[in-house]
Amino acid sequence: MSISLEQVSKHYDGAAAISDVSADIADGEFFVLLGPSGSGKSTLLRAIAGLTTIDRGRIVLHGRDVTHVSAREREVGIVFQNYALFKHMSVADNIEFALRARGVRAAERRRRREELLELVALPGLGERLPAELSGGQQQRVAVARALAHEPRVLLLDEPFGALDARIREDLRRAIRQIQRTVGITAILVTHDQEEAFTMADRIGVMDRGRLQETDEPRVLYSRPRTRFVATFLGAANVLLGRHEQEGVRIGHSLFEPSPFGRPSRGAEATVVIRPEDLALGQGEAVVGAEPLGRGKVEGLEFVGVLERVRLSVAASTALASAQHPDAKQFLLEASRSAREAELAPLQTGQNVSIGVKRVHVLPTPIGSLRMLAASSERIEQLAASPVIRELAARMHVRPVGRVVDGDAPIDVLGGLPVVEIERDQGLAAPMRLLEIGAHQVLGIADSRRPIDRLLIYVQPTRSAREAALGAAATLLRHLAVDATLLVPAHQRRSLGGSSYRDLLDLRHSALRGYGVDVRTESFDGLLAEAIRNRAHGERATLLLLGVTSNASARGLLEELGPALALDPPAAALIVRGTSVSGAEGASIPYVRQPAAASAFR
Amino acid sequence: MQAHRWVQPSVLPGFGLTLGFTGAFLAAIVLIPIAALVLKGASLPFSEFWRIATEPRALASYRLTFGASLLAASLNAVFGFIIAWTLVRYSFPGRRLVDAIIDLPFALPTAVSGIALATVFAPQGWLGRWLAPLGIQVAYTWIGVVVALTLIGLPFVVRSVQPALAEVDKTLEEAAESLGASAWTSFRRVILPAVAPSLATGFALALARAIGEYGSVIFIAGNLPMRTEITPLLIVIKLEQFDYLGAAALGLVMLMMSFLMLLTINALQGWRARRATGRGR
Repeated sequence: MSISLEQVSKHYDGAAAISDVSADIADGEFFVLLGPSGSGKSTLLRAIAGLTTIDRGRIVLHGRDVTHVSAREREVGIVFQNYALFKHMSVADNIEFALRARGVRAAERRRRREELLELVALPGLGERLPAELSGGQQQRVAVARALAHEPRVLLLDEPFGALDARIREDLRRAIRQIQRTVGITAILVTHDQEEAFTMADRIGVMDRGRLQETDEPRVLYSRPRTRFVATFLGAANVLLGRHEQEGVRIGHSLFEPSPFGRPSRGAEATVVIRPEDLALGQGEAVVGAEPLGRGKVEGLEFVGVLERVRLSVAASTALASAQHPDAKQFLLEASRSAREAELAPLQTGQNVSIGVKRVHVLPTPIGSLRMLAASSERIEQLAASPVIRELAARMHVRPVGRVVDGDAPIDVLGGLPVVEIERDQGLAAPMRLLEIGAHQVLGIADSRRPIDRLLIYVQPTRSAREAALGAAATLLRHLAVDATLLVPAHQRRSLGGSSYRDLLDLRHSALRGYGVDVRTESFDGLLAEAIRNRAHGERATLLLLGVTSNASARGLLEELGPALALDPPAAALIVRGTSVSGAEGASIPYVRQPAAASAFR
Repeated sequence: MQAHRWVQPSVLPGFGLTLGFTGAFLAAIVLIPIAALVLKGASLPFSEFWRIATEPRALASYRLTFGASLLAASLNAVFGFIIAWTLVRYSFPGRRLVDAIIDLPFALPTAVSGIALATVFAPQGWLGRWLAPLGIQVAYTWIGVVVALTLIGLPFVVRSVQPALAEVDKTLEEAAESLGASAWTSFRRVILPAVAPSLATGFALALARAIGEYGSVIFIAGNLPMRTEITPLLIVIKLEQFDYLGAAALGLVMLMMSFLMLLTINALQGWRARRATGRGR
């Protein structure tokens, strides 16, 4: 591995700028860190360069731990957005700067400088001053300067930000070419997804200080794991379908069930459909696509190569907007090629049938937030709590409230029911919802403090672990929190594994299966004690419990009951495992084939 | 297409008006008094002018005035830079206070600072007491002159360098560091060249102020002819003896020397600036 990041974290004034970022970048790879501004991508790059210290974690460059090595000894080359050329020095002096600092002889310096000027296609410009060059030329000089001392890693911090579109494209190609020629490992930071797609071998998408997903550009686009990546990379319709016995129902069609766990019947499935994967027909059905439903054309936009169509569709239990789960009507965005648009022109107000060519089910178990309380004031109180506000904002979901008297209606149990935890009642309220069929419940005890730590305990079964890790992955991606997985010491012994190995295995399956990194801690003695010791104090904790069945949940709550009733954590999420199969650590496939016509794609 | 315009177009109109003001103001405040001085001095026959200008007492006063001023301005360039650096790069309790104190020499009547310095550095004074056993006498020697001129010139350097230093892009240092430069190398080869023009300006201003300084120096210098007598004082002495022509001659010499020095500094700076911004585009 060329670059290894292990649980790198950095805080500024108590706020996390980078949280537990782990990644491995191969020799000669062109890796792009993509994310909106403020996502921590530049901080991460600076940490790799040694220009910023980190609070926790390790940075390894070519097998050498450089976590505490200064920037000048890390042997990396950096290219900055504003070029950062030394204005009073000639181009030649700029390029030779690193060589001079290393005491390289004049003749050798000159040879290397000529070589580099050749490489960046600026031969003969050595005597110029930076101000005499165009922006693109200056950035080429900056690249040459960064490569002069033959570093093994090249870091590029938004290097094209200040350039015109045309020059930017040329320079992109040039830098990619140079990187291949030199065979250097490169990391580029950008907020421009086109740039990321055209340049990257692999992309790491960052948001809120976390590396949300890392994969090849095509995989990230067609099979994202998170809502954030699905909507950040291109346009996407995010919808709620239903898990059924035979598969996932989306509108009028049934798609193959999810092999990574079998969520309870009726649970919501979060589905991503790209606009280009929707097909529109004027008759009863759409040829060559699975039927989704009918909709009305609300707007047409012609943008040259394609036509964008906005459709309004009536919501049903198996087809709803993930953004507004309770809306009666929602909008879908479809796109067609200019040729299709010409052959079958549409008009605003026209009714059409909608088909779908390809769907992608996100592995997240949390589709919508459904708050249940005895009065509308209480619902407002729940909605105002920082956990719900933050989750709703980051997931782009509007939380739905329902006033209930007595038992909750079954139809809200598909999403994530949210209830109030009353002091001295313990987790009784969430447990009641589990009993009537919910497979996950979020209880909120403290509706004022924002959550800053996630504490996870999982009952020792595969299904409980998978359900819990899936939920943890969703929470970690949307809340800026640390996560700790509690493993009892006696459980390790009974399983006969060595302790360290077992901890690593858990962390590993979280990382591989769900793409998030958690810390693991083992404890001796009672679970209630262990939780209370950690959930206590300044930091507001969300306790995540993964349980195997309702019976085992009852057992667990009895064990925890008295301790948690007196001093409940700020919030608690209980998830019940339901999977009956699934190989340990198997990677999660995402693209579903329709159950009915598996030959169809 | 317009061939050549020597008036750069501006958003606000009124080139004629503003140039008129500039001319009138400069004339009334600067040019006419200087012209009067030049005329007065020129009314002397050259041999007489030369005799007054090269009197041993006058020569000694030039040496002291310009020597002490250069030394003071150089000291200010070094320590003013360090102060500016501290104020820009670090935040510490009392930073604003220190920042405000820098300007005090601007506001204080120069006589007050001269008297204060003389008191402090006198052999029995707070600081003089400790320096006397070391054989260093500050008050009533040329060292005292340098101290007074350093005091009044300090704000010029700090205030010129401060904004330039704040403007130095942090990424330049980071780039130098990542390229393997030591802290000293990146200071010498990256930061210093970037603030050099402002440092030169500050130096020139401090120098000009020191050459013209009168009030504070006469209290601490002791004013012994040939030893601690500065040219401005010599001019005042001549005036008090109603030797207006002699005073004008010395004034003219100072004017020319100051003008030459400032011109040289400005020319050097202009050359540097042209080099750094480039000839083309």
